[in-house]
Formats: sequence, C-alpha cells, structure tokens
Amino acid sequence: MPHRFVDHTGEVELHVEAASEEAVFAETLAAFAELVGRGGDGEHGRRTIELASPDRPTLLVDWVNELVYLAEVDGFLPGRVDELTLQGNRLRAVVGGRVGAAPANLVKAATYSGLELERREDGWHARLVLDV
Amino acid sequence: MTAASEALRRVGDVVWEIPASARPDMRVPARIFADEELLEAIRADRSLEQLENVACLPGIVDAALAMPDIHQGYGFPVGGVAATEPPDGVVSPEALVHEISRAVPAGAGKESLELDAAALEDVLRRGPRALVERFGIGTEDDLEHTESSGRLDGADPAAVSDRAHERGHAQLGTVGSGNHFLELQRVDEIFDAGTSAAFGLREGQSTVLIHSGSRGLGHQVCTDYVRRMDGVLARYGISLPDRQLACAPLTSPEGREYLAAMAAAANFAWANRHAMAHAVREAVARVVGRDAANGTRQVYDVAHNVAKLEPHGGRELCVHRKGATRAFPAGSPDIPADFRAVGQPVFIPGSMGTASYVLAGEPGAMERSFGTTCHGAGRRMSRTGARRRIGGAELRRELETAGIVVRCPSNKGLAEEAPFAYKDVERVVDVVARAGLGRRVARLRPLGVVKG
Repeated sequence: MPHRFVDHTGEVELHVEAASEEAVFAETLAAFAELVGRGGDGEHGRRTIELASPDRPTLLVDWVNELVYLAEVDGFLPGRVDELTLQGNRLRAVVGGRVGAAPANLVKAATYSGLELERREDGWHARLVLDV
Repeated sequence: MTAASEALRRVGDVVWEIPASARPDMRVPARIFADEELLEAIRADRSLEQLENVACLPGIVDAALAMPDIHQGYGFPVGGVAATEPPDGVVSPEALVHEISRAVPAGAGKESLELDAAALEDVLRRGPRALVERFGIGTEDDLEHTESSGRLDGADPAAVSDRAHERGHAQLGTVGSGNHFLELQRVDEIFDAGTSAAFGLREGQSTVLIHSGSRGLGHQVCTDYVRRMDGVLARYGISLPDRQLACAPLTSPEGREYLAAMAAAANFAWANRHAMAHAVREAVARVVGRDAANGTRQVYDVAHNVAKLEPHGGRELCVHRKGATRAFPAGSPDIPADFRAVGQPVFIPGSMGTASYVLAGEPGAMERSFGTTCHGAGRRMSRTGARRRIGGAELRRELETAGIVVRCPSNKGLAEEAPFAYKDVERVVDVVARAGLGRRVARLRPLGVVKG
C-alpha cells in the first residue's frame, strides 16, 4: 500500500512507500486528501506551490503545512498533483483540487516528531506525524 | 519500551520514577503520577519515551512530570509538565496553546466572529477584554473568572506571523475539530459542599463545558517557532532526542519572541472561549429567557497547553504544561478573590459518554507538580483503533439511547472520540486526589455534546 495510517494514541501517524521522492510527496498529498476530504461539489481549482527548506525531510513537513494553510485559509482541498519538481531542497508543484467546500476533518499541522524520509532497498519511505 | 523505561520504579503510593541515570542525555528524573492499571496503559505507547526526552531539555529542574492522563503526543507527551529556569533554561514551542477549557453554569461555537486587522491585533494584545470593550461581548465578571484575567503580559502581535493572523481572523468563537467540544451537562454529585458553593455549583444544576483553544492561529505560531528554533539549535549548543522539542534559551531573541507570540496566542484562545461562552448565554436567552441568561455565569476558564513564567520555591520558572492544568491551591494570590479560600477550579473532562469532574487545586500541587494537575481522562486508544471498533452512526445511536444528544457533522470524527478510547476518568481523578494535587468538588454528567 503506498500510504497507510499507523496507530498513534494522540494523533495520526502516516507511513508512505513510493518509488521516488517525488512520488512520496504526491502520495503524502493523497493521504492528506483522504483525511480532509476532497471537497465534494466545490469548484475545480489549481494552486501553484513553491517551497524552500533546509533539507528534504523538512521540505516534506513544509509541503503538508502548506496544504494545511491552503485548506484552512483559502478553502482549497487538494485532490491530485498535476506537476511536481524537486530541485535541491526546493519544491515546485501544481496541485488540482476543489475550492469552497468545508473540509470533512481538519489537519492542524505536520510535525517533526519521528520524521523520516529515506531511501531503502525497495524505494523511498517516509514517516510523518500529523496533528489532528 | 525503552531500556530507560524498564528502570521505572515506584517511589510513592501513586508516584513512579525513571531515574536520570537511566539515559545519558536525561538531566533530571522522569516522574509519573499513576496507579498500576493506568501505568499499564501508559506503558502501552511511547509516552514514557517522550517523557524521558523532555527530561533532556536544557535548564529543566526537579523532574519531567507526567499526569495520570498522559498519552503519546508529538515531542512532549500529552499530560507532560516541565519547568525550566532562566537564563539558560529553554522554552519549547511544542508545549503551546492549543486547547483550554472553561465551564459556564447554564448553539454556540459554529459561527465565527470575523475580526478586522485592528480588532484581531487588539484581541492578541488584550484577550477577551478587547471583546468586552469593543463589542460588548461577555462581562467583567467573566474576565475576573479567567486565568490571568485572560491576558498574558508581553503579548506582541508583531511576533505572530501573517500566516497565523490569516488563520485566526475568521475563527474567533469557533470550537474546532478533534477532541474539542461544547458539552451540556448536569451536576450529578457534590463531593465538597463548601467549595462547590464557592464555585456556584449545586446538585441538579445545568452547566456547559467548553473545550477549545487558539485554533489555527496557535497551531501556526507553534509551527513557525518550532521551525525557527530547529534552525538555531546548533547556535545554542542544544542537542535533542526529538526535533519536535526544538527550543531556545528563554533569554535568547528566539525565546523572547516566542514568549511574546505565545502570549498573543493564549490571549486569542481565552477570547475564543469567551466569545463561545457569550454565545451560550445568548442561546439560553433564546430558549429559556433573558432572566436565565443573566443568571448564567462563568465558573472559570483555565489553560492546559501553555508555558508560563511563575514563582516556585523561590525561583522564577517557565512551567510548560502540555495537556496539564494549572491547579493553584487556596491562598494563592493568582486566583480570583472569591476562590481564594478554597483553591482554583480545575475541569477534568472524561468523555462524552461518562462524566467530567470539577476539582480544586491542593497545596500538594505546589509541592509536587509546579501547581499542576491532569487535564482529562487521556486517550488510551488511537483514532484508527476507535474507528475499527465502532462506527459513528452506531455510537451516535448508543449515546442517544443513553440520553445524550449528539451534534457532530462527521461520523468519523465522532467515532474517534468514542468513550472507550479514553482512560477511566474516575481512576485518573482518584490518582490526582491521592497524590494531593487536586480534590473532588463535583461530578458532571453529559446531556448533550456539540463537536465541530
């Protein structure tokens, strides 16, 4: 399974397995969308996201926190990644989704607790704890 | 379980300790208030490892403390307490202001009060007083019955990012999601007649308990400062076992700015609950009548996720309470005059299917826990585990069969908060009473719950 939610007493712990780092970021968005909902009949919309971080694991946290911000302030619930490029510790993505629908559930923040983003024998692995 | 956790030993009736020697990076012991059964639940997740990590914070004094409702969080365990000493002691944003509670003896929390930039800045500086004076929301009596009168000194809106302002400006007066709620209750049993009279509680009375916090604004403040402090750890020679515990010395520029931002977020959180309590009064006026609404008064509003500078044992310390409630005893100058003979009210929500408790702070809290007690029953089961065991629709039917009305837009969110996902609140309260941290005043039974 590309992503799964692992038991965590207080919050939500997300594990992602993917063939590439870019795919980890895309799959993390899919997991986020599963948590907050896909916006039902909200209008279609697209957002361009550009981020720079000190390292790649931090970039993954910043990616989710950007989605949190867009969902809460802009009412944009992401559904898919149309484009995503990683260069060094920078990310540029174009994300499709729905605008104007209330999220089914809120994700409040991504955290550094137990954060992992690493290459393993069979691909890339990420672990992220989300405050819900 | 870590090797250090295996060094856990009993040091009192309901007190357990992992010695500082159990791990080379621990600066103080990790001390847990629990009985055997609660301890078994606590040992089932990573709570103790997280508490050991807190014991590694620079400048921590006495011990990293765990209340009996402790459970695994991120960085700090929920139910954790740490006091650090300036100048080199640190402040960690991870213990910030997400959730806090109040009780109002009685539909609020759905419609927000949208603030313009000037009003939001005023709220960040002055908390609920800004709502009383600008909009006539709430009363002076509400302010008097709020921890720190709802205003932490040193709050600086400029230390709060634009992004946090954006997240907060339309959220005032809203309950939020997760375990936040507004619950209509009945006073089911009085344990301490004198203290309950001082709190204005009597058997059979209706009450409303509000559990909410600084909403997205506070989360953004935490996110911003954890990221910033994570980037300067090396500058201060700080090495941590968990990045989420990112911190900076209290006297550093980062530490001072964080305290200013956190104070602003705390003021916002008090104002948020203040606005909801006002909405409760308006609902009482509509349903029962204006006379009843005028007689609806706030017992108290107290934080359980905040770091505060307080005097303890002749020293000024920064007390981090992460899912832990201040519980000052009788005689404290920092509690309202009408409670000074009995101690500060503390609210311990159980779950929407069991009961909540009103406690009063005891002198033992000042001696043993930096004036702190627990903040709830504490989760014992993950959200996914709760959903595997029951569906939201089924839980809704069960609660309504038990006479508890549920208003929750999400069946998934409801199932995650199922009563069995929490520890036994009776046992948790028993431990804090035996430890001398708080005493039972009244028990509240749920009649209806509203979730965001």
